[in-house]
Amino acid sequence: MAGRAFAFADPRIIHLAKNSFIPVTADDWYQRRRQDDEGTFFRSVAEQGPRKGVGGATRQGIYTLTADGTLLEFKNAGQNADATLDQLTRALKKWNSLPASRRQPGAVTVREHGKLDANYTRTPPKNGLIVKVFGRILDRKDQEFCRGTCEFAGGMKASRDFLWITATEADAMLPPKLEVGTEYPLPPAIARRLARFHLLDNTRGEPRFWKRADVRDLDLKLTVAAVTPEHLTLRLSGVASLENLREHRGYDARLGGTIRYDRIAKVFDRFDVACVGDHWGDDSFTDSGARPGKTPLGVAFTLADATVPGNRVSPQAARDLDIYMGQRDQ
Amino acid sequence: MLKSLLLLGLLTAQPPARLDDKQIDHLLAVIKPGEGEDPFATIPWQTNLWEARKLAAKQGKPILLWEMDGHPLGCG
Repeated sequence: MAGRAFAFADPRIIHLAKNSFIPVTADDWYQRRRQDDEGTFFRSVAEQGPRKGVGGATRQGIYTLTADGTLLEFKNAGQNADATLDQLTRALKKWNSLPASRRQPGAVTVREHGKLDANYTRTPPKNGLIVKVFGRILDRKDQEFCRGTCEFAGGMKASRDFLWITATEADAMLPPKLEVGTEYPLPPAIARRLARFHLLDNTRGEPRFWKRADVRDLDLKLTVAAVTPEHLTLRLSGVASLENLREHRGYDARLGGTIRYDRIAKVFDRFDVACVGDHWGDDSFTDSGARPGKTPLGVAFTLADATVPGNRVSPQAARDLDIYMGQRDQ
Repeated sequence: MLKSLLLLGLLTAQPPARLDDKQIDHLLAVIKPGEGEDPFATIPWQTNLWEARKLAAKQGKPILLWEMDGHPLGCG
């Protein structure tokens, strides 16, 4: 995503975003569709600029606006830091030219949001786990894996996503008996979600997710590694083999890691899992620079702080929420 | 010849049968973004436009909305 690598990597823009604006991000796929107060507000702002959304077209871009809904400046130039800086500078000039009665703290009242459009609103599972997911191409160096190189601009950086686990699913990770060495399967709902929607090469954009038939092998186990009055430590280990023959795309991976349960607070407080293996192929969404042949790909999972707004972003696959959560199959 | 191939196989990093703690720690460190790798992530992004409106009104600031087809903070 160009905005990450260019405009929002520029220290001048970061400074303005932190100090002169309230910075907010959103997925246009939801925003342009949602039929509720937020959707209506967003579209009313977008329609003041070039993004009219004719025929349901994209409205993506970088907007600057007032809390009461006036578009200050719009540009879709995340790939160009200077153009974005110019946009923000002009927006601030317009902002400062507004009467103080519209700018001063507390001048505008924003009422409570009405009923949310459930079709296009995603909230993390109540009391569940939010797990950050990073993917990265790797290379082999001597007997270890290191960060990979490729010719695709930005393709060497880590991709980002989030894995959601419900409270019920998390509870199902607890062992049948508190005895070191006890081995049992990772709950199938978690294993399936993790493999189909998170063990993929999304380092150059979003590929299609694995379908049920693409899962050739999935064997993930938990083993009780340690039990203390405070903590229960679980070891995750296993393999996942995914392949779509039509797209000539696959991933043979091994996983390992540590998941820890705080027995006093009754919450999982650690989820550090690594995955590594050979990936091959592209699909039509990302047919733009996969390295030839089978090359190493790594995926890392780590628990996120659910109180940080930026960690409450929904998983990319949760656009089809029923499928993602396993309530409908594909 | 066979010996050479076997040696080559041993010297080439392959996903081991079972990842040990050291390998897992190494992989996590290599895969996750390093310090300073993702400057965009240092911005305190809100992820709810309606709540951002409230904050903007309260603090007397304009809003900077970065909206992409695929969430900027979690899409690839």
